[in-house]
Formats: sequence, C-alpha cells, structure tokens
Amino acid sequence: MSNSLEIVIGVIQVLVLMALSPLMTGIMRKTKARTQKRMGASIFQPYYDMAKLMRKDEVVSDQSSWIFRCTPWVNFVAIGTAAFFIPVFLSHSPFGLVGDLLLIVGLFGLARFFTMLAGLDTSSTFGGIGSSREMMISTLLEPALFLAIFVVALTYGGTNLSTIIETASNSSLLPHPQLIFAAIAMFVIILGETGRLPFGNHATHLELTMVHEAMVLEYSGKSLALIEWSQSIKQIMLFALIANIFVPWGISSSISVSTLGFGLVTFIIKISAFAVFVAFLESSIAKWRLFRVPDLIAVAIASSLVGLVLYYL
Amino acid sequence: MNQVNIQICIKEIISSFLNKIKKVDHKNNEIYIHLRDIDDMPVICNHVYTSLNTKLATIICTDEQKNDNDFVIRYVFEKLNADIFIFIIASLKKSKYFPSIVSQIPAAASYEREIKDMFGLVPVGNPDLRPLVLHEHWPNDIFPLRKEFDLKTKVARQEQEYPFLRVDGDGICEISVGPVHAGIIEPGHFRFSVLGENIINLETRLFYAHKGIEKLAESMKLDEVLLLSERISGDESVANSTAYCQAIEKISQVYIPNKAKKTRTIFGELERVYNHIGTLGGISTDAGFAFGAARLNILKERMMQLNESLSGSRILFGVNRIGGVKYDISDKNKKLILEQIEEVSSDFEKIIVFLRSKSSFMDRLKGTGIIPKKIAHDLGIVGVAARCVGIDVDTRHDHPYANYTVHNSRTPQQIMQDQIEMEKRSGDALARFEVRVKEVHDSFKIVRESLDLDDDDGLFTEVPKEITPYSYALGYAESHRGQTLHWIMMGEKNSIFRYKIRTASFCNWKIIEHAVLNDIVPDFPLVNKSLDLSYSGNDL
Repeated sequence: MSNSLEIVIGVIQVLVLMALSPLMTGIMRKTKARTQKRMGASIFQPYYDMAKLMRKDEVVSDQSSWIFRCTPWVNFVAIGTAAFFIPVFLSHSPFGLVGDLLLIVGLFGLARFFTMLAGLDTSSTFGGIGSSREMMISTLLEPALFLAIFVVALTYGGTNLSTIIETASNSSLLPHPQLIFAAIAMFVIILGETGRLPFGNHATHLELTMVHEAMVLEYSGKSLALIEWSQSIKQIMLFALIANIFVPWGISSSISVSTLGFGLVTFIIKISAFAVFVAFLESSIAKWRLFRVPDLIAVAIASSLVGLVLYYL
Repeated sequence: MNQVNIQICIKEIISSFLNKIKKVDHKNNEIYIHLRDIDDMPVICNHVYTSLNTKLATIICTDEQKNDNDFVIRYVFEKLNADIFIFIIASLKKSKYFPSIVSQIPAAASYEREIKDMFGLVPVGNPDLRPLVLHEHWPNDIFPLRKEFDLKTKVARQEQEYPFLRVDGDGICEISVGPVHAGIIEPGHFRFSVLGENIINLETRLFYAHKGIEKLAESMKLDEVLLLSERISGDESVANSTAYCQAIEKISQVYIPNKAKKTRTIFGELERVYNHIGTLGGISTDAGFAFGAARLNILKERMMQLNESLSGSRILFGVNRIGGVKYDISDKNKKLILEQIEEVSSDFEKIIVFLRSKSSFMDRLKGTGIIPKKIAHDLGIVGVAARCVGIDVDTRHDHPYANYTVHNSRTPQQIMQDQIEMEKRSGDALARFEVRVKEVHDSFKIVRESLDLDDDDGLFTEVPKEITPYSYALGYAESHRGQTLHWIMMGEKNSIFRYKIRTASFCNWKIIEHAVLNDIVPDFPLVNKSLDLSYSGNDL
C-alpha cells in the first residue's frame, strides 16, 4: 500500500517539476526585466509561448536526417526520465533504487549529445558553431560536476539521491565544511549547464555569440516547444538538486498530507529564491569572453578539490 | 591666413607639374587643378598625397558628355593641417579607361570600384574590379549614374555569382552571416574564414539597400533634395542636411545668420549625443550586459524626447533649410535644453563610472577589435574609428563650419594635452568607448556654450532664385560617425546636375575587415557595434 502510494507521489513529483519549470523561467525573466528597469512580460509568459509554439507548424530543412527530428524527443525523454530520480518534496524518491546522481548526469549527457548532433545535422553554420562551443564547455563541465558529486557522495555516503538527501536533511551542514566548497562548484556548474551568464546569454539576438541557442536555431513549432520545455525542466531539476542537497530543510521524510504540503511550499520558495538570485547575478555581469569561460570552470574544479581535501582532513 | 595657405599650395603644385596642368583656380577653401591628360593623374595625386600632407576625401565622377566634356573625374584631397580641399580634375576624352591610383593611395579602391559600377569606367591597375555597389543581379552593361540612364528604367535580373575570396587550408571553415540578421538591423553579408574560433579573414558584402539617392536627386527640386539628404541615414539627419545646405549656400555665396549657425550647431550636437549614448548602450548589449544597456537607453530616450519637443521629430528631421534653419529655439526651450542636459549628463556620468567599475564588461572591451594605425591611415578612416587610434581628424576642427569656429579656440597647453591624449589611444573597443564618452561630454559643453550667446539676426538668408549652372561646391559636416561630404554641381534651371555623397560609413566599413583579425568569432558583434557603422548611410 505504502509502496504504491510512494510511486504515486513519485509521479506527482515529476509532474510538479514539469509543470513548474516554465514558471521558473518566467520568474527569472521577470526578475531580470525589473533589475533592468523594464516592466517585463508576465511570469506566465513561457506557458503562453509554449502553447503558441505547440499550435504552430514546423519547418524542417530537407537537408536534415532523422537525428534532427528525433532530438527533441530524445531530449524530452532523457530529461523527463532523470526527473524521476530527483526528490522534490519527499526525501526518498521511490525510483531511487533504479538510478542515482551519476545516471542523471548520464541522461543529461545523452540529451546534450543528441542536441549537438542535431546542431551539426542541418549543416547550417550556426548549428556547427553552437555544437563546437557546447562541446568545448561540456567537456570541461562534466569533470567539474563529477568532482562536486564525489564530495557530496563521500560526505553523505553514496551517490543515491535518496540517501544523500535523507542524510542531509537529518544533519546540519556545520560539521561538513567541504560541502560549502561543493556548493560553490555546483553553483558555477549549474550556471554553465543552463547556459546562464557569464557562460551564455539567453536574451541575445546575436547568432555569432550563441552557444546553446545556436544549436537549436533551426527548430520551430512543436519541436522548439519541446526543446525549450526540456531545457526548463533540466534547469528546474538542477535548481532542485542544489536546493535539496545543500539546503535540505523542509523536505518531507514521511508521507502525510501536512508534511508533504509543507515540503512542496518550501520547495517552491527555495527554488524561486534561487532563480531570483541567479537572475540578479545575470543582471550584474557581462558575458565573459568565450575563452575565459574555462577559467570559471577551473574555479569550480578547484573548489571541489578543496572540498575533497577538507573531507579527508 | 587661409588664403595664404591656398597660395602656397597652388605654388607648390604648379612648380612641380607646370607642363601637365591646364588651369588652376580656387574658390572658398577649394583649389581646382585641371590636368591636360588624365594619364598624369597617378603622379600628381601621389605628389599631393605624400608631400602636401593630405588624405583622399573622395573621388567624384560626373557625366558631362552633354557639355562636350566627356566623363570628368575629380579627386578630392583634404589637407590635414589647413582648411583646404584640393580638387584634381581631368576629363576622360572618349575613353572608358582611367588610371587607378590604388597602388599609391589604398583608400581610392572603393571609390574606383564605385565609379566602375555606376559609370562603367574601368580603373586600369586596380587589382579588384569586382562589382561593389551594384550586385551580381544587375546587368553588366547598365550604368545608372550616366545621364543616358532614365530613372524609371526597369532593369532585367541577371544570374551571376559573386566571387568571394577563398581561404584554403587545413581546418579552415567558412561562416557566412547575413544579409538577413536575427536582430532588427539592416542587411549586410559577412563572410568569415575561421580556424576554430579565430578569424583568419573577413569579407564584407554590403550595398543591399540601394536607394538611388544620387540619381534621384538629379530629378528633384532643391528643397526636395534637402528632405532626401535627411533620409540618407535617419540617425545622421542633421549632419547630412547641414552638409547639403552648406554646399548649396557655398555655391550661391550665401552667408547664413549667426543665429542659424548656432542652431545648427546645437542640433548637430544633440544628434551626436543621442547617437553616442545609443551606441554605448549597444556596446553594453553586445557584451551581454543588459543592465548598462537599459540605463543608457533610458538616457537616449530622454534625449530623443527632448529632440521631439524642440523640433517635432525624435530624430531631428526638418531642422535645416537652405540658407539657415527652420526652428527658433525659444527662451522656454533654452531652459528645457539646459535642464535636460544637466540631468542627462549627471546620470550619464554615474552610469559610465559604474560601467568602468564592472570588470567583466571592461574585460570584454579591452584589446578587442584593435584597429592598426597604419591601415587606418592608409584607408583614410574618419570619425571615432580614426580618433580611437589617435588620428586626430574631426571636421569640426579641421574645416570649421556653423558655429564651430567659436568652440575651437584651444590654448597651446590644451593642444599639447590633446596630442598626448591622442597618442595614448590604442584603437580597441575600449578606446572607442572612451572616445564616445568624451565626445558626449564635449557635446554637452558645446550645446551649453551655444545657448549662452544671443543673436537676433533671423533664422535664414534667402538663397538667390537662380544659381549659376554647372557651378559646384563641397559641403561637409561631422556626424557622430565622422565626416560626411556632399558635393553638388548645379544644373540648368536650379536643378541638380550631380549630387555626390560620401558618408563616414563608406570610409569606415573597410576597417572592420582589419579590426577583427586578432579576435574570435563571438567578439565580432562587439567590434561591429563599437564601430557603429551605418548600412543605409553607406549604400546611397
């Protein structure tokens, strides 16, 4: 009984992530607009955009292959699957036995791999540029991410997210200074993974400066909606990860309406606050030169290493 | 003083080439040297260019076949240390070939290509004879600026391919961008050859927005051409119409009232301010720093609203008229201008201080898009692009017009300081940023000073009803992009026989191909924006 209830809640968690993801994008855009002295669109605009794109026809280049057409689905499925392993308001994910943090990274990698292929597939110049840049950044980001995960896994005794978060929510951060360094690294990596400033600029219209946007430049209509949705789900998952690993308090450890409700509310507050913070940060820095971006990733790696050293100290 | 300089110049040229010169003449600040034979052109141009300290301002071709003069080509040189323009004039004598001067004066290349497209005259010795202004769909044997070409001709489309320069080598890729871009900007094609992200070569292909202004002007009345000149590039409307009016005023020997001079100066500087602030905002956008851009765009908007309340036009259309200006600046408006620029300049200062303190922003600008000084000099670059490498050219100083004679008085110490300042400039995007900031401050100062003075001598002088046919003169002004030159030759019955415009963008577009060579592809938009080139102003 409790098992099937857990599965139901697990599915609800995934749906919550999917449903809330465009809202986070909307909140970030609104925050950026307000900090730039603009009114900005409503925070629900990403939902309207998606609804609009869903109704639109697609234009697919006749030079492209099946890779281009299946990439939005591979993206969505890979990222959607990863969403099952992320605890949102219940600390132990019922699907935790099937996959851990490393699998999530792998699924992200799969989605990215196909996006890069799709960028090359249409043989448009910008797709190629985008893929090559994405490749450069991701080859550096992944080791940094693994290092950060190691620090967390060593501290909490496993890469399984349920274990990590359950342990985390029952302990205080104070005895684990290495986690602060892991959090710094994780934060930088999340900026990179979601293509936020100073790595990339979501608001740019300049094709030559784009990274992620250049890869998906050829997409339109439903495919574009799917890709954008996958991107925002990925973003909210990363936010959920950093929020629940490093600020786990408030997450529900038992199945009862009141604790789950409390868990959901605190979750929304946590990630909204995080989104607002990231948007603020984006408003206060310019995009870095492309070849200075590795320096920032090096900071993340160094920070994780310091965390690792502190763990063994 | 200037008359003495002119005489010295004339003497210098005559003494070297006495037997090659048919006639020497001068009027206002222009010296006309008529050659016997166009084949002597390269020698004399080279002499004027190297020993008289001049730069090539423009090359003007006219179709004077009707007047038994065949095609006439005028090479205009601008003296760098005196207010003198030297015209070297030769007629073609039934041939369709003329000698190229590119090997000595590289800046001539695009003028010669333009003449080849528009008149069908071939510059012999120019290594690059690809079409420039007219694209490959235009038939090879139709030349729109010849008098025989009727304005209303419908031209058949032809299929051809433009031969871009190909860079071969291991790992070299081509990136072609445009002519249609993602932002709301004008069309232009950029062909990059890249090795990874490093730009090996850039070729620009512009002239997608041909409006036929020079041809159109020949069929219009003088007052209508004024409106046309404002529309060469919307954001340079005051500079271009000022240059146009000055050309007509110079031909008809009309001196405009002091009040009109001051009003032109004020509007010219207001135009510079709103555009420079807009460009600084654009630089901030392209560096990915939206906050700075938002703040600067607010200021640009405030300046444009000020423009609207002064002239009824946000981009200052309809300010000039031939012989003077249309709008009087009332005492109420004077107060409004003072208040507005007081507020805007203090806010502007705050934002600039803030931007300078942003390391991520400054890092993007520093060392990006460095213009090599030698090449800038060879290509005859004007405006901010020239001043950012320390080439001190500014029409307002070099050939004072309107009220700028008043604002030019500098003490020897100030001149010294300016020279030192010029030497320090490194030609990167940061230098252009700083030059623009300085010019905004200078403009505010000039506006304030022009408002202080009070004259009451009317808004305009009447221009004679009938202007001598085939008389001509050069009008010029400094837009926010640099020097804009308008050369007008009057026709019969107060029509325009030939209207040759050379905007700053026409000179400066070439430099971008050199400025990006040490950069990577994602920095190109920033280099482009910091140069602030106009597509429309380039393609007439």
